[in-house]
Amino acid sequence: MADEIPAADTRALGPVRLMETQEELAYELRAAEGAVFTGGRFLVGIGAFTFASLAFAYFYLRTSNNLGLWRPHHATAPTNYGAAVFAIVLADAMLTIIGAVRLRRGMVLDWQVAWWTAVGGNLLAIALQILILTRLGFDSGSSGYASCYIGWAVLNILLMLTTFYWLEVLLARAMRISRAVAEDGGPSQSRLPAARMFRASLDSATYFVVFGALIELLFWLLFYVL
Amino acid sequence: MAIRTTATHDLGTPGELPPEGVARARNRSPWLDFHVGTALVGAVAGFVIGHYIGVLIAGHDINVDNNGQNNVAICLSLGFGYLGWMAGIGGWNYPLAKMIGREPVGELPSSHWSRYFKYTLDHKVVGLQYVIGVLLFLFTGGLLAMGIRTELLNPVHHIIGPDRYIELVSEHGTVMMMMATSIVIGPLGNWLTPLMIGSRRMAFPRIEAFSFWTFIGGYMIILTAMPFGGFPTGWTGYAPLQTQASGGMDSYLCGFAVIGLGMITAGFNIAATVIHYRAPGMTWSRIPILTWSLLSTTSLLMFATPVLVMAGLFGILDRTALTAFYVNEHGGSSFLWEDLFWFFGHPEVYIMALPGFGIVGEMLPVFTRKPLFAYRVGAAGMIGVALLSFFVWQHHLFDSGINPDMRPLFMLTTELISIPTGFIYLVGMGTLWRSKIRFEVPMLFALALYFNFLIGGITGVYLSDVPVDVTVHGSFFVLAHFHYTIMGGLVFAFFGGIYYWWPKMTGKMLNKTLAKLHFWIMFIFFNFTFFPLLIVGLLGQPRRVFEYAHNLQGLNDFSSVSAYILGSSFLIFVWNFVWSTWINPVPAPANPWGSRGLEWQTPTPVPYWNFERIPVILSDPYRYGEPDPPPVADLGVPIGAAAAAQSFAAEVQLGLDEPGGSFRG
Repeated sequence: MADEIPAADTRALGPVRLMETQEELAYELRAAEGAVFTGGRFLVGIGAFTFASLAFAYFYLRTSNNLGLWRPHHATAPTNYGAAVFAIVLADAMLTIIGAVRLRRGMVLDWQVAWWTAVGGNLLAIALQILILTRLGFDSGSSGYASCYIGWAVLNILLMLTTFYWLEVLLARAMRISRAVAEDGGPSQSRLPAARMFRASLDSATYFVVFGALIELLFWLLFYVL
Repeated sequence: MAIRTTATHDLGTPGELPPEGVARARNRSPWLDFHVGTALVGAVAGFVIGHYIGVLIAGHDINVDNNGQNNVAICLSLGFGYLGWMAGIGGWNYPLAKMIGREPVGELPSSHWSRYFKYTLDHKVVGLQYVIGVLLFLFTGGLLAMGIRTELLNPVHHIIGPDRYIELVSEHGTVMMMMATSIVIGPLGNWLTPLMIGSRRMAFPRIEAFSFWTFIGGYMIILTAMPFGGFPTGWTGYAPLQTQASGGMDSYLCGFAVIGLGMITAGFNIAATVIHYRAPGMTWSRIPILTWSLLSTTSLLMFATPVLVMAGLFGILDRTALTAFYVNEHGGSSFLWEDLFWFFGHPEVYIMALPGFGIVGEMLPVFTRKPLFAYRVGAAGMIGVALLSFFVWQHHLFDSGINPDMRPLFMLTTELISIPTGFIYLVGMGTLWRSKIRFEVPMLFALALYFNFLIGGITGVYLSDVPVDVTVHGSFFVLAHFHYTIMGGLVFAFFGGIYYWWPKMTGKMLNKTLAKLHFWIMFIFFNFTFFPLLIVGLLGQPRRVFEYAHNLQGLNDFSSVSAYILGSSFLIFVWNFVWSTWINPVPAPANPWGSRGLEWQTPTPVPYWNFERIPVILSDPYRYGEPDPPPVADLGVPIGAAAAAQSFAAEVQLGLDEPGGSFRG
């Protein structure tokens, strides 16, 4: 229902009555979709440099091995928990991809189930990562490895929180717009702007989750395998 | 008479559903909303809560008992203070509302002055907020510089003393560097980018507002360093001093992390806007040179700054969670900080330099009435500088433990970067060549940039050579060099830009006489301040040391007195700013400099939506001197004019006629 505003106010507000042609609307919508698409890729780039900093610290301290204190006695963070976190994040990424593919084929319920499961998995992985911090078996400043691991734990939690947030927001978004776009094919098919923007964000989120899984793989190898 | 309107009339993200609570928002007083006052309350509350939690966590830790300093409490109070600040300004409303699938309360176009104190989606308001924000940084840093120069008036008699002196130096450097990263991209980048590329809006207006209020949050955090005991490291924050320093170091690390977040988000938004929101016909070869410089800069902001944030995070972990990233005795390395810091720190130099060249690149064709010489070479030079800047950081370690075999490589990359920088410089020289220059105030600042940067640039080429670098490392020579590039380049460009675009931004002309007075005092005494420092540096005076040899007092005193006069020139600017904007405003002509730039084709003041119709760009903005140049843009014909003639002009009332068909919220 439209709200009303007295005419006197509109003078003070300036040109509130923006008249847009259909072409302009379409043009700006394409721009907005593109910005979300590119924004997702930028986010991956920003994330890559963020984690590259940690990887640099890892290799720098490992190579320097100051006073032989890179990793005394080959101390390792709890491997079982670490493997569990890695497995969950990997499974989440697969669920995210599968869900996105299903959505594209119009199977909205499949997508919702897959993504809600991924969201739950993310929360579980965060809890496990925090649990690991209580069972390290070494002091945070006891070695270069220990320091890097603490840094990784903090970053990993932030990464998983970001993923959790993005997936959850999209699920909430889909629920919110479902009624509005239902007659036009639902969120997976509708050509309405709300659905198109939703899909652009979903595409970027999927891309980001895959990036997160690759990061998880890399650092799992560095901290638990090598 | 009443008209129908919806919250579609704000600049939210396209595709949003109609926001809730619009009527409520419309009817209440502007001050009963989130604004800077509530933000301050939030910051104080967050600070107290964070401190309390920090005391609970680490209050009885043996390290805290031993040195009486609870870094956990300080970091948490700063972190929570920032979160409270952002909550108080309304920065979390949107992300939290999205979590439950709701749209946030929309923003209505408003001409009430309270909008300058709020979290707003209008890029022009954010741009003006940034103007005040960066001036706040600049004058704070400037006052600290006056303190430094006062201490250096005499080599042996001390006014401030060694401990306070190094704190002043550190605070000055950090505040100025933080300011310099945003001095162009914040005010002019945000204000001008959509106008220059023919867009009605930013790609991510909420992220844009987030970047500004985060920037101010960072300012407040770095100011807390002094009450926490300051930090003795200079702006570079080197370990192991960093690990040993008092609580002010926490402010430094947290402040840089927060500012870094603001820089990343600012770059992110502007880059996405330039890439996707260019008007039809605004091809890559037609975008203004300032936009090229901003785009190059955003790539550095997005990809170099995360490294700084991470370096800061590691430092915070060292000081709170007792990790040992930078502690040699526990398997860490102080050189790790140097590497991470300079991986950001050197690209930062170009974050500061490139927008300055973009600004003067816009001015030169206007005041010479000639096309910009070798536009494509200039754009390529900016991209080249941005790319190469990632490969030079090790030259900062020439004198501090780098493997000697690596020195030639980084000497080469550093010298290489002077080539694209030279391209950019020559674009300016080529434009000036045989031109009839109009010596308006902005042009004076532009010319001053070329003069100052020549000195800063040439000394930089010398410094890239290992033998010279090793000889003058840590001396006033280095200090004078980077002041010539940053202040002599960027700050002059910024003021030139303000004088140039202020009539567009506010519709008011700044007083020309006062502006010229500001320029000449600033230009002359800038050189009087810093040129002697090149000499005292070559004669061996070290940076960051409060005492020096007796024979250098004359030059130091000359520099100090010049610095006071240089500082006073900013008072003239402030007076002009206040006088011409509020006390005795003189309406500006529509296009006072006769520019062809797209931003000057809009009405003044610029409407909320910038352009009534999305413009169709017809030519580049630099075709001066041609007898009959084509117009820059068609501002009246909608996209696809023929098709549009058959379509209807629809009022944007999304979600009214077509559920879910909303376009913006």
